[in-house]
Amino acid sequence: MKILFTKLQTKYFIIFPALILFFGGCSRIDHKQSALDPKGLVSQNQYDIFMLSVWITIFLFCAVGGCLLYVLWKYRAKTPEEAMEVPPQSHGNSKVEVSLIIASTVILVILAIPTLQGVVLMNRVPDPNDASTLEKLDLNRSAIDNAITVNVTGKRFFWVFEYPQYGIVTANELVFPTSRAVRINLRTEDVIHSFWLPKLAGKMDLMPGQENFLWFIADQDKIITRTDDNGNKIKTSIDEAMPSVFNGQMRERIFAKQKFTDEFEAVGGLFYGQCAEYCGNSHAYMSFRALAQTDEDFDSWVKKFQNAQNPNLQPSSYNPENEYNKGSLVSFPDKSLGDSDVREFRAVKTISKGQAPNLAKKEWVKANSDDYEKGKKLFSSLQCVQCHAINRTGLGSKGPNLTLFGIRTSLAAGWMRNDEENLVKWLKNSNDVKFGNLMWNGEGVDDTHPLRNLENEDEKVNQLVTYLLGLK
Amino acid sequence: MATESLKYLNPDSETEVKTKVFPRPGQNTKGIINWLTTIDHKKIGIMYGMAALFFLILGGLEALLIRSQLWNHNMDVLTNREYNQMFTMHGTTMVFLVIMPLSAAFFNFIMPLQIGARDVAFPRMNTLSLWCFIAGGIVLNLSWFFTGGSPAIGWFGYAPLTDTRFAEVLGDMGPDFWIFSLQILGLASLLASFNFITTIINMRAPGMTMMRLPVFTWMTLIVSFLIILAFPAITIALVELMFDRTYGTNFYDFLEGGKPHLWQHLFWIFGHPEVYILILPAMGIVSEIIPVFSRKPLFGYGLIIFSGAIIGFMGFAVWSHHMFTTGMGIVATSAFSILTMLIAIPTGVKIFNWIGTMWGGRIRFETPMLFALGFITMFMVGGFTGIMHSSVPIDAQHQDSYFVVAHFHYVLIGGALFGLFAGFYFWLPKLTGKMLNEKLGKFVFTLMFIGFNLTFFPMHYLGMIGQPRRTHSYNEGHGFETWNQIATIGAFILGVGIVIGVYQFVTAAFNKKLKPAGKNPWDARTLEWTLSSPVKEYNFARTPIIKARDQAWENNYGPEENHSQKEPLDDHGVHMPDRSWYPLITGLGFLGLVLGMLFHQSVDVNTGEIIRNYTPAIAGGVVAILGIIMWAIEGPAGYHLFPKEDEE
Repeated sequence: MKILFTKLQTKYFIIFPALILFFGGCSRIDHKQSALDPKGLVSQNQYDIFMLSVWITIFLFCAVGGCLLYVLWKYRAKTPEEAMEVPPQSHGNSKVEVSLIIASTVILVILAIPTLQGVVLMNRVPDPNDASTLEKLDLNRSAIDNAITVNVTGKRFFWVFEYPQYGIVTANELVFPTSRAVRINLRTEDVIHSFWLPKLAGKMDLMPGQENFLWFIADQDKIITRTDDNGNKIKTSIDEAMPSVFNGQMRERIFAKQKFTDEFEAVGGLFYGQCAEYCGNSHAYMSFRALAQTDEDFDSWVKKFQNAQNPNLQPSSYNPENEYNKGSLVSFPDKSLGDSDVREFRAVKTISKGQAPNLAKKEWVKANSDDYEKGKKLFSSLQCVQCHAINRTGLGSKGPNLTLFGIRTSLAAGWMRNDEENLVKWLKNSNDVKFGNLMWNGEGVDDTHPLRNLENEDEKVNQLVTYLLGLK
Repeated sequence: MATESLKYLNPDSETEVKTKVFPRPGQNTKGIINWLTTIDHKKIGIMYGMAALFFLILGGLEALLIRSQLWNHNMDVLTNREYNQMFTMHGTTMVFLVIMPLSAAFFNFIMPLQIGARDVAFPRMNTLSLWCFIAGGIVLNLSWFFTGGSPAIGWFGYAPLTDTRFAEVLGDMGPDFWIFSLQILGLASLLASFNFITTIINMRAPGMTMMRLPVFTWMTLIVSFLIILAFPAITIALVELMFDRTYGTNFYDFLEGGKPHLWQHLFWIFGHPEVYILILPAMGIVSEIIPVFSRKPLFGYGLIIFSGAIIGFMGFAVWSHHMFTTGMGIVATSAFSILTMLIAIPTGVKIFNWIGTMWGGRIRFETPMLFALGFITMFMVGGFTGIMHSSVPIDAQHQDSYFVVAHFHYVLIGGALFGLFAGFYFWLPKLTGKMLNEKLGKFVFTLMFIGFNLTFFPMHYLGMIGQPRRTHSYNEGHGFETWNQIATIGAFILGVGIVIGVYQFVTAAFNKKLKPAGKNPWDARTLEWTLSSPVKEYNFARTPIIKARDQAWENNYGPEENHSQKEPLDDHGVHMPDRSWYPLITGLGFLGLVLGMLFHQSVDVNTGEIIRNYTPAIAGGVVAILGIIMWAIEGPAGYHLFPKEDEE
């Protein structure tokens, strides 16, 4: 498992943009989903072999095409009389033919060697005990030893990301640390999908009844290097390229820094992925994001998710037998929301045992706004909860897991920016946004379903939005 | 019922017809009945060609709708389901109803003329093949009018998306139409292929040894073998899929232990040879045209034939390169990767040999030659991107992106369609007896060449910057818009070029302004150019005795001993078999069988149970079988024609 052509990489980096300029008059190749802008070991390897093949074929095209042009020019019939001449009727030349066959074989061998090395690299995470390979690939042993595993499940038309090591589940946004390898196990529960993350990993299909595998490791240096509008490479800071996801900085930074319609990603740690195998009506809308994090940020994100999805840490109803520390969250009835409705309160100071909750004493404050609590209630009463899991892992639920939805950058499987305006649009008529999606068209959803009747319910929609975006 | 065929009648007198049920149309039948009952390989070839050109326009319109939808981000020309139906129908139409039948049209018309035969071995079977093809085209396009509209499963129909479990419209019939249409089209291809193989092996004129066969005939033979070996795989796959959909079996249903991988293997072990089935005829045509317009024999004739055969053989050993991303493991992907690279060698050999043919020639740039040169350059680009895909790590990025769309359109339009258009411009004078308008032809070539490259070259780039295939829409902010717009403009230019070309072909026979062609307008080399244009009903008045490989050329320029001779006229004249209704009836029977199977299920309104009614299907099957029996009984019959001594 060697990469033969590492020395040539730098050359490719200089020449290829020039080539694209020549072919297409387009100087940028680092579009959001571009395979020409690799940011990881595996995709870099794929890119290098691709560029090798590009040079081989450009050489062949020039050689054979040049030969063709020469022949056409030299042996063209210049006059009608010449067109009627009879040239010598030669039938072939076996020496020429054999040497051309041998030459083409040699050229193919040049491509075949890195291909076979690349196959192994794509399919196997390097053995951490094989020091020489790790050295060739410029990998730290700890990156392999501490590799994280993500079980990806494709569903029509979104992605489930399960982190079995940490017992957490999220959807449509894959958060990963740059310093460790990421092993991806691919499964599907319906038809064939394909996991395509161009800048990091290439693609692999999700086959029903079979578990497929791919892996990647991001390259932090490349992530923090970006191309400016003039095509110059500039290094940014880690903080700028990879803002923390767990505290919502990533979301804020992306929203603040650029428009959704900008073609080039200002935040280096945000990657775009897409389902690449036709899977039905809404196949085009089945995209996802991958967010690169430093080790600490990743750990904080995991911790936050673990806490959110830990059933033992959910606010319980008030129990007079317990003592509550300052800051603890407890739910008890609040008449202002409606009869027999409960809401979450936060203790302002330590509450000793045996007291009834007393709001008048200012011992408790509302943990969330009224709209949030109403939205939370609507989430159940409008039957959202039947398909979406919030604050639980909910593996096997029909829809995407919405835990900590407020820190997500995207909505509707990576199709839109996750902001208030889009979320309102989505909730009012998701079929308009993403025709054929199963939230609108799935089994058991018909015109009587409350979800399909939110078009004119501005108040309810706003409450739902407040609730969902408040999950952070 | 059989008529005596060996009575020697006077010229121009008709055979007595004794059949009662469907009287055989006689020698002087005219008009529509002549075309419906003909068993003449030339007329069948023309009908194959006309139907395929019609489907070319239809499939092209579907393509233009697809391109219009992709003009900008989030367009609303088509809904996503309509878009998915469009690309499914576009793919299926172009592969099975355009390129294959266009090749079959040339096989039918040209191949018997090239080997010195009066017809194919089984003329009525040839007619049946035509009607099966047309029935298949009708069945596929009928799908638009029934539940769910036409199929939205892709031309590859990957399981389990085809399973009723995942249907996005309740009771979707699209995939059923697709299955039955492909089955009947497969029947058409198989019938034609057995026929061509038998013809080429048995009916060559004396002296026409295998190594004197024109290259186009060689490619016909190779492609026919590919068809009879490849189609059984898809037939089985489709039967299993039909059982899954109709009777609830579990071949591909993974929830019941079926294997979606199985479909992909069966489909591609057909599908990859299919690629060569599409391209080898065009290579054959180009191998005929380049020597003619360079005035030199083909460079390395033996090697071209051999590499064609090698391509055909190895075509069965590379199918899994369509499945590199399905998780087959290191060993299988590596093996198929290497085999795929190897197949580039015989393909490259052909290109070297075409250039070698032109080397030292006197090259004329008339329309057929322009299309042939377009073929070489465009096919080179498609071949090179094909080499890229043979490398698994590269394919991990390219698979199912627009890069692949660019690749196979370079091979199938820049390759196959340009080759077939070259064939039209080259052989239509032989067919109609009139030269096509050279200026218009060059104009068509220019439009097609520019439009084609404008459409498909940007797709390489689009694929690399991340546009996936088969997506009805793309989001803002990926930088896809500009190049998609260029591609759409190119597609319309290409479309205009094709429409003008098709108009030129269709009107060629009626256009009074065109100049007469004469026997051999291009000073071409192969046997068909020794015949008058248009070719007489009986092809060869006297069977030629072949002395050399490029017989027409040798007759004009070769030494005396290489000139062909003719068998003497005999008193029997030329025996012409009679027209027959039975191929059409058998074809209609198959159509009835297929439609009966398609509509055999209904749901009882009261109980909700499925009712199956096989009567129409059985009736159709009985008609087909009766048609075959009657056809066997009626015998060849026929009449005799007495050409004059000096007629060709």
